[in-house]
Amino acid sequence: MHDETLHEPDQALHIEDITVSYGATPALWDIDLDIPPGVMCAIVGPNGAGKSTLIKTALGLVRPVAGHVRFLGRPVGQMRGKIGYVPQRHSVDWDFPTTVRDVVEMGLYHQLGWVRRPGAQARAKALAALAELGMQDYADRQISQLSGGQQQRVFIARALVQDAPILILDEPLAGVDAATEAVIIALLQRLRDEGRTIIVVHHDLTTVQSYFDWLVMMNVRIIAQGPMTEVYTPENLRAAYGRQLAMIATPAEGRDM
Amino acid sequence: MSALADLLASGIVRTVLMGAAMLGAISGMLGAFAVLRRQSLLGDALSHAALPGVCLGFIIAGTRDLGSILLGAFVTGALAALAMMLIVRRTTLKTDAALGIVLSVFFAVGVVLLSWVQGQGGAASAGLASFLFGQAAAILRSDLWIMGGVGLAALALVLALWKEFKLVSFDADFARAQGFPVTVLEAALTVMVALAIVVGLQLVGVVLMVALLIAPAAAARQWTRTLGPMVALSAALGAASGAAGALVSATTRGLATGPVVVLVATAIVVISLLVAPERGLIWQALAARRARARISDGRLLKTLQGLAAAHHDANYPAEQGMLEAALGTRAPSARFAALERRGLIHPVTHPPETTPHWELTTAGHAEAAALSGKPDDPKGGGQT
Repeated sequence: MHDETLHEPDQALHIEDITVSYGATPALWDIDLDIPPGVMCAIVGPNGAGKSTLIKTALGLVRPVAGHVRFLGRPVGQMRGKIGYVPQRHSVDWDFPTTVRDVVEMGLYHQLGWVRRPGAQARAKALAALAELGMQDYADRQISQLSGGQQQRVFIARALVQDAPILILDEPLAGVDAATEAVIIALLQRLRDEGRTIIVVHHDLTTVQSYFDWLVMMNVRIIAQGPMTEVYTPENLRAAYGRQLAMIATPAEGRDM
Repeated sequence: MSALADLLASGIVRTVLMGAAMLGAISGMLGAFAVLRRQSLLGDALSHAALPGVCLGFIIAGTRDLGSILLGAFVTGALAALAMMLIVRRTTLKTDAALGIVLSVFFAVGVVLLSWVQGQGGAASAGLASFLFGQAAAILRSDLWIMGGVGLAALALVLALWKEFKLVSFDADFARAQGFPVTVLEAALTVMVALAIVVGLQLVGVVLMVALLIAPAAAARQWTRTLGPMVALSAALGAASGAAGALVSATTRGLATGPVVVLVATAIVVISLLVAPERGLIWQALAARRARARISDGRLLKTLQGLAAAHHDANYPAEQGMLEAALGTRAPSARFAALERRGLIHPVTHPPETTPHWELTTAGHAEAAALSGKPDDPKGGGQT
């Protein structure tokens, strides 16, 4: 069935001509981006490249000066609840008086609709999502008692509980321990293998090749995008990172993916 | 008790008491959300900004008509909130600077208007100054109906939109990404806070009103772990502060109700900050002390175990001074006594020396081994 109202329905995320500006300096400049369904995509770039702004714009949290965004052919307003979003861990107050299970159930509030409260079904879903991340024993803990890695797992469980076809994560591996990183990556790769699209803002060039299969390299503009093997090249890295590159990583020539 | 009964028989006292308790409950409930959203000072700006509205309401109505005064207060309060939002969004100023500017500008306009109105003379204008610090005795029975109405509306809203308010307070970005109208929800909370302030003006006044928003919530947070109990307790503490403050000021001549209510609420905060389990300062200091003692006891046992192992003598008597030197600190003798009480070490003499010596008991060996997770073996390697 072909729906005429859809625009670029074959792309999980389609961004066209997006420009975002905070004051006089553009944070994003004329972004054209396509991420196909079923990939695990990393968005990389130096500090201040606009990675977080890009995903916030895609999600409708930041208003662009120009351009449009489509998820599976639809504007984000028609996709609410079908996109799992994991904001940066430090964006909230972890001393908020609530429990781990309560935070995870927040992922279901949209499905519940107005006024209705989460019940036994929401509770079961939340516990299942926590179990996926090895956090089932923490369900009734205060969130203020969690370590950084545990906080991140709870945030991911909150997105997971939505059972969304598209997941967008903002620096999920920043400041987490190695065990948490392994759990998160294994989970995301499994979700990718189920056919979901995973989009991750990533900061660590040393792991990007082994974790992801699709790459977007940016620095205010898009430098390169596509399958990992085609995009992760010395020329592109130099274009995105400039002089910082020598300090970060050099791509191994002919490294086997 | 009969003195209290006499007091309650007085209609004015009953009205003030009920008014103060209701106001405390309303501001306690809404203040909990304001504090969690880190907007406690917004309440301060809103209440100070109500003063020009009070004066304008008086000027326009020409008399001290409560309806137009409260409407004026609400309008200028809302204008202040709007001005702050615009300053934060359109300029590079941060929230605290925007708050400071808006609060002082609106309050200055209010004071100018107040002095002008009073300069015009007229008996009615004299009462306006009471809005600065509140005048509980001015409360009428009919005002209680307004307070009750605002309170019920706030309660109904909070109950109906409970999960939405919780989500917006915890993570507004996530709520927006989920498609919730975050701006509308935040505005609803702010409007309710403004309403609570307006009904509280008569009682507590524009200067002190903010304390009634923040104090019950800050105290309630100390005792609770989840949002529901926190909001409920905050409302209860607010009501209790209001009632207690009204009673104290009714029984003592010359004490203004509003400030007394604020002092009672603040006393509850101080107590809560000190003694609440887990979050209280005293509780935390005790916990830190217990942890230090546990660690230093553990090191002491491990040192004794190491000495016993090194000398292949499970009952090796170690001199207290030497133990202190080995630990690098002068372990308080109370720690030795505590360990002896627990049956882990045993005092011995080691003639011809006269100084105190200690040896590990069997239980002490087991405890030291448990600390390292290794089986108890006094003949094993001498590492600690």
